[in-house]
Amino acid sequence: MSNASRRARRKARVRTARRRAQRRRKQGALAALTSGALALPGLAGSAAAEGLTDQISSEYGFSRYSEGSIPASKVAPGSERGRYDIDMHQVRLAAPLGERFALGLDVVHESMSGATPWYVIPGDDGEPVQVMTGATVEDKRTDVLLEGKYFMDRSLASLSGGVSFEKDYLAINGGLGGQLDFNEKNTTLSGGLGVSIDKIDPTDSAEFPLRPNHEKKQSYSAYAGISQVVRRNIAVQSTLTYALGDGFLSDPYKQALVVGEPLADSRPDLRHQIAWLSRYRHHFSSLNGTFHANYQFYWDDWNITAHTLEVAWYQSLFESIRLIPSFRYYTQGQADFYANYYTQVRSDGLYSSDYRLSPYGALSWRLRAEARFRTWQLDWVGSFSWERYLSSGSYALQSVSAPNPGLVSFDVFSVGLTTRF
Amino acid sequence: MRRFVASGLLAALLLAGTGCAAVKPWERDVLARPDMAWEPDALEAKRSAHVHYSKEAALPGGGAGGGGCGCN
Repeated sequence: MSNASRRARRKARVRTARRRAQRRRKQGALAALTSGALALPGLAGSAAAEGLTDQISSEYGFSRYSEGSIPASKVAPGSERGRYDIDMHQVRLAAPLGERFALGLDVVHESMSGATPWYVIPGDDGEPVQVMTGATVEDKRTDVLLEGKYFMDRSLASLSGGVSFEKDYLAINGGLGGQLDFNEKNTTLSGGLGVSIDKIDPTDSAEFPLRPNHEKKQSYSAYAGISQVVRRNIAVQSTLTYALGDGFLSDPYKQALVVGEPLADSRPDLRHQIAWLSRYRHHFSSLNGTFHANYQFYWDDWNITAHTLEVAWYQSLFESIRLIPSFRYYTQGQADFYANYYTQVRSDGLYSSDYRLSPYGALSWRLRAEARFRTWQLDWVGSFSWERYLSSGSYALQSVSAPNPGLVSFDVFSVGLTTRF
Repeated sequence: MRRFVASGLLAALLLAGTGCAAVKPWERDVLARPDMAWEPDALEAKRSAHVHYSKEAALPGGGAGGGGCGCN
């Protein structure tokens, strides 16, 4: 074979590979738009950099969240043992408008019921036990978020606004974000700002005099991140998020036992928070699977530090099925004003026995299955997942001498259906 | 704060110390796979972040914005 023939055949192979890559980029970009979290402007999306597509996608998900009953040894005599259940419906719609603009709508509706931790008292044996809310809580929450994205050649800008409302809580939020690709789209810088104005009107304030009413809080957040393609099959991302909470940050439905008397949960009216999240993605062609690893470090000025490690394996089977087992480990320290209960008065007047401010660790695992199929001339993806979450003082990185008796375990069962047209 | 600095260095090393190769546009087929996305399923990511944020002290990282709730 002559050199000219060899060169011609080589050029033909490169052209074929480019056309194949372009077709896959279109499919990947669709997935990037539809999976690019509209709730996280400008950051989530494909490792190949987000792009506009010409398809409309719709997604629906239903989840049942069920907390395990609190053990009898950890609950105060006469208190409810059953805990919280939540049914959640999620709908997401995404559509291109013109050549450079896309619109997305997220709606979440939750129905919540059950008993929740109220305050902690010393048990007969000196170990802390949980007093639960006596009456069964029933509430509904609806959250609506609208986001617009404008695609330029090497950048992306997004603007979002939303509202979340329930019987005793109203939050109005907005955000803007941006993304800039360079280095032949191997590197992406992203950033954004968010704000939420919340109004809190706890129920039954007249019946419970310690319960506050007509409170407000504001939350401001900012993030900056960088994504880098390392190899054809490896990408990494690191993001720093800062958040400021200002206003009523206490839990109006919780109390703390202070020298034998229940007082209202009382936390500082300012909170600085930092979260540093790093992600790693690595596809193994020989196994037809992809490895995910996420690590987050968290710090706030209430003296809480936390670490989160998540790993997942995405295994593709038979062209249309994917199985995704994953594992998550979480550990946190305690707020400096936290205690199960108080044997003396604090000079700063800060008190909370909320388990979410206590030291503990949590293990959770999830198994998700997805199946792709075509019917009614549409492409569909059906999914099912189950997550089991367990928390305990003994799972924490540090030694915990008196874990909060209200630490939670829960299961989440979810089903979902997505289509594009 | 030492742990915070150590985490930052780890992230920077992750990005800078891996010997990045410039991947050409026609070589990005694997990167465009749905399972290579930072969040392959946005509904699940949002649900998971909401559940964990309601039950833990830590903020979900990776972005800004979103609404608050009286989650208990």
